[in-house]
Amino acid sequence: MSTQSDNQTAAAGNRSSGWVVFVFFMIGLVASIISGWVAFPELLYSTKQQPIDFNHQVHLEQMGGQCNSCHFFREDGSFSGSPTLEECKSCHMYPMTGNENEQKFIDEYVNQDKEVPWLIYAEQPPCVFFSHAAHVKGADMQCATCHGDIGHSTSLREYQENRITGYSRDIWGKSMLRLGEPDHGGRHQKMNDCAECHLKETGSKGDCFQCHK
Amino acid sequence: MAQQPQHTKTKRYGMVIDLDKCTGCGACMVACYAENNVPFRQDDSDKMRSLNWIRVMKVDNGKAFPDTEVCYIPMPCMQCDGQHMQGHSPCVSVCPAVATDYDYPTGIVSQIYTRCFGCRYCMAACPYHARKFNWWDPKWPADMEKYLNPDVSARMRGVVEKCSFCYHRYQKARDKAYVEGRDELHEDEYQTACTQACPTNAITFGDLYNPEHAVHSLSRSKNAFRLLERLNTNPKVYYLSSKSWVRRVADNYLEGENPEQVAKARKAAATH
Amino acid sequence: MKIDRRCFLSLVIGGAVGTTLTPVPWKLTDDIAIWTQNWSWTPEPEDGPSKFVKSVCTQCSGGCGIIARTIGNRAIKIEGQPDHPVNNGSLCPKAISATQHLYGPSRIQGPMKRAGERGQGKWEKISWDEAISTVTEKLAELRTRGKPHSVACISDTDRNSVAYLLDRFLRAYGSPNFIRTPSSADAQELALYLSFGRQGTIGYDFKQSDFILSFGCALMDGCDAAGQMMSAFGDMDKKTRLVQIEARLSDTAAKASQWVAAKPGTETDLALGLGHVMVRDGLYDKAFIDSHGFAFEDREDEAGNAYPGYRSLVRDYSPEKVAKTTGLPEKTIESLARAFARARRPVAVTGFSNPAAASVNQALAVFALNALAGNFQKPGGVFVIDEPDYLSWTEMKIDKTASAGNQQARIDGAGTKRFAHTRYLPNRLPEAINSSQGDSPVQALLVAGGNPLYTLADPQSAKKAFEKIPFIVSFSTFMDETAEQADLLLPHPHFLECYQDVPTPAGMAKTVISLARPVVKPVYDTRHTGDVIIETAKNLGGFIENAFPWKNHEDFLKKTLSDQWETLEKQGYWTDDSSRDNSLEKLFRTSSQRFEFLPRAGFETQGSENPKSKVQTVSLPGDVNELPLVLVPYSTIRISGGAVANTPFMTKTVDANVIAQQDVFVEINPETASEYGLSQGDKATLKTPAGNAKVRVNLFEGIMPGLVAMPAGLGRTGFSDYIAGKGVNVYGLIAPAADPASGLNAAWGARAAIGKA
Repeated sequence: MSTQSDNQTAAAGNRSSGWVVFVFFMIGLVASIISGWVAFPELLYSTKQQPIDFNHQVHLEQMGGQCNSCHFFREDGSFSGSPTLEECKSCHMYPMTGNENEQKFIDEYVNQDKEVPWLIYAEQPPCVFFSHAAHVKGADMQCATCHGDIGHSTSLREYQENRITGYSRDIWGKSMLRLGEPDHGGRHQKMNDCAECHLKETGSKGDCFQCHK
Repeated sequence: MAQQPQHTKTKRYGMVIDLDKCTGCGACMVACYAENNVPFRQDDSDKMRSLNWIRVMKVDNGKAFPDTEVCYIPMPCMQCDGQHMQGHSPCVSVCPAVATDYDYPTGIVSQIYTRCFGCRYCMAACPYHARKFNWWDPKWPADMEKYLNPDVSARMRGVVEKCSFCYHRYQKARDKAYVEGRDELHEDEYQTACTQACPTNAITFGDLYNPEHAVHSLSRSKNAFRLLERLNTNPKVYYLSSKSWVRRVADNYLEGENPEQVAKARKAAATH
Repeated sequence: MKIDRRCFLSLVIGGAVGTTLTPVPWKLTDDIAIWTQNWSWTPEPEDGPSKFVKSVCTQCSGGCGIIARTIGNRAIKIEGQPDHPVNNGSLCPKAISATQHLYGPSRIQGPMKRAGERGQGKWEKISWDEAISTVTEKLAELRTRGKPHSVACISDTDRNSVAYLLDRFLRAYGSPNFIRTPSSADAQELALYLSFGRQGTIGYDFKQSDFILSFGCALMDGCDAAGQMMSAFGDMDKKTRLVQIEARLSDTAAKASQWVAAKPGTETDLALGLGHVMVRDGLYDKAFIDSHGFAFEDREDEAGNAYPGYRSLVRDYSPEKVAKTTGLPEKTIESLARAFARARRPVAVTGFSNPAAASVNQALAVFALNALAGNFQKPGGVFVIDEPDYLSWTEMKIDKTASAGNQQARIDGAGTKRFAHTRYLPNRLPEAINSSQGDSPVQALLVAGGNPLYTLADPQSAKKAFEKIPFIVSFSTFMDETAEQADLLLPHPHFLECYQDVPTPAGMAKTVISLARPVVKPVYDTRHTGDVIIETAKNLGGFIENAFPWKNHEDFLKKTLSDQWETLEKQGYWTDDSSRDNSLEKLFRTSSQRFEFLPRAGFETQGSENPKSKVQTVSLPGDVNELPLVLVPYSTIRISGGAVANTPFMTKTVDANVIAQQDVFVEINPETASEYGLSQGDKATLKTPAGNAKVRVNLFEGIMPGLVAMPAGLGRTGFSDYIAGKGVNVYGLIAPAADPASGLNAAWGARAAIGKA
């Protein structure tokens, strides 16, 4: 025993003391916590700007206060999603206001007959079949429940894309901890989120084919 | 006997194929490839590795010329209910990844490609060879990617795929019903691509529980049978044939065993 | 303070502990899991609103109504048009997979001229202006040299607007050489003309008939009316009897209520034998024959020459004798004849098979059975549908060069004294060119539709003939076997990209005109053949230009279809019952104004001095001892034997005992196979007078011993790697044999020998 403790004492002279080790531990701990909470989310997502800064508020007022004036159900039950150039053109063939975004839209898209490459915040992967009809018509849900009150926004948020998965940040949610509702006021949109809500509302998480294709 | 559903909303989609009407033309297979983005290869003659969601098998009665008869048997996924009609189908029960499950509202066995990691247990378990493995990445030469159907996702190398009873058509039919404020689907609103394509109307598709659907009574007719019925997989694909030899090749009967009697005995045992 | 390894480790441990308190590991695990599911090269087809466009499939002459589902400018899927009068929603696999040809590697993507040797596959892209002016210059030069008749045109139809434009172009230019590629319609049309005196097609009322007697028709085996036939079979109630006469258990035979396995090539004898029983037992429609039949009884002409009638002819075809010829039991022949005669609405059907198998004699003998049953223009019976007359024409003037050219004899010999009533003899064209001394009688060949270097019997000699033609233009949509040997390619758009009228398909019991419409915008730099003809005519100027007062093909269609255009645009088809409503009094346009049981030009050789009618049969060349077996081609709906090859999807459906890798399997009865020491899957050499082929053996009980059956439609060199190089072309093994009466090819098979390779 004594030999051992002697050795330890002798070694202590050559080695860093306990508190130094602890300080290093703390440096590692704090640095990783900071980078994990602050730098990681910044690095994980790339930020993209929408091609045109769209004002939902103005359009909502002009189009009679209904989302489905532009985002409508087709006769076959499918959901139209973002309006096509053709649909936009029915009003915006020529400038209606002096707005610079409108001018940009007409110059770059209408005149060149090009679809606007909108970045879809709530875009689901190609293996997912999401039924708007089941939620909006079947379950009588409001658009804002999932999408947040985007209809009354005057400007488009920046779009954040996960560098690994390529998916929109809205799917996971802005908060890394997935606490509370997402910043934009809608819902988290990962598979478990769907299942959780379905369990609560319908009594079953649902089977794979309910949403997968 | 089949357990009746707990609540009326449950459906049990099934198919009845009249083998007397099937000419073996292959329209069902081709329609399925086109509908479900099934890829193809320059040489698809290795049938163990060729991707098919429905295959048309050719069988004969083994008699010499000119008493020979042949019959074609189209084989999609049998969408087995399992022994106690609880979705315990051979493939679902072995999948370690929950990449395939039994869809209770419709009775359709799913296959989720993004979930599958290619262990192929399900293929070994399936007695009908309904499942196929993607040995290669799919390739659509020239501009052929343009014809791909967005309703069905394209598969990648290393996953298993199989017939889904065109579930996406069910999804779309339901969407239409929702938008029109209906709860129920009409019989003709949801039909699989093979059913629709069959040029002699040999295939009938619908809800086996719904007495208004044609499959309800057809599946109960005296000429109806299923493949390998004695395995108790409870397939939802029924066949009709007026020929007893066809019925005989549909299961592994022993010499001297009578398929009709076996079926009767099975029914009697099930009611006890 | 000392910083050492422990500090470093401590830092790392601290970092690790800290990291677990952040979202990093959990989020990364999740994201990486998702990343593994993303295969960037797996296509994600673009979604959008679906549209459904009604059109018609033109890949064969069947004229089936289709509905094409499109998303944006993409054609996604072809489905049957349920309300179309031809097919009622039924389609064959080829129609369903048409999008594969539309977007596939077989397409010719723009006008091209040959850069290397013929058939070398080297092409140079050119502009449409250059392409059309090359054609114009060549045609102008031949005309200046006074040789307009050395221009020939091959097409797969003579009935739609493109064929009419081509024919008009040739007449205005000065050539009589419009040639239609062979099909089973040839013999049917000629027989119809001879016995009814009408040009048109035969319609069979399958849906209302209760007894269908099919003489080897490939009803469910991929004939050119597959959609129509399968729709009829689907609707048939189980009481309707379908009897199939065929030596092989085909899919039609498999679905028939009775399969009558007569020896191949004896169908005519069997039809006459059935006639014998019906006449002998008085089981025929006497009223019809009295009022509308001609040459049923023996007769004398004004000069006192005696001619035997049908009654005398069939006397020689007793069941006993026919049993020997056909290999069937006598009682089968007796009972079949009685069952046919006693049915309420019987119909005997011929045609719908490979071109050679249905000879003119067979067609005439089968028409006679229908006449005995008295079922013309009756529900469940036979209807005669007149040639289309919807394309109305303005008169045209032609110049002297043209009229001199038009008066020259046709190069294929059709319409000459020897083959007075035959319109086209495509199978004689190679021979005419190959046997000519010096320059080829064809100096310029326009191939617009059809794929003669694949579909002609004996494609080897056709290819040799083509080598002698100095200038070949192909209008093909695909790089087919003929386009491969051309000098200039002027690709026609795919049928899903353009307007095309489709006349009444064979078998339809009423007139149905359909319109194929552009479903998607053209994928490649193609131009409608109709447009090219009109533009070439304009470039040639003079009378030729004046004969084409239309802007383009679409303008021509709209103007000529005038009243019907709107209906066609809206509904996709247009029907007319006037042919169906023809009364028997007005039906026959023969010189006797009656149905001719024994048209002289049919059963006997034309110009024959011997008035005693005798049915000529085509015997197969070759030594029976050396070639003891008989090779017969068979069609299957999963392999396309016509001008346009099958799609990769169709090939995929073919069983591994039909094609395995590059090999084709021949069907052979196990009994015959054991005689030659062959077992399942063996590699073998098949020998016929026309050539040899390496094949594999598939034992099949359903084929008559002594026969070897090979599927038609394989052995292609053109199209793409997905189609070419599989098996051999069965018609390369069967040398053509001319039907003495018509000159049409009637070689239904070939003598053959098979041995283990």
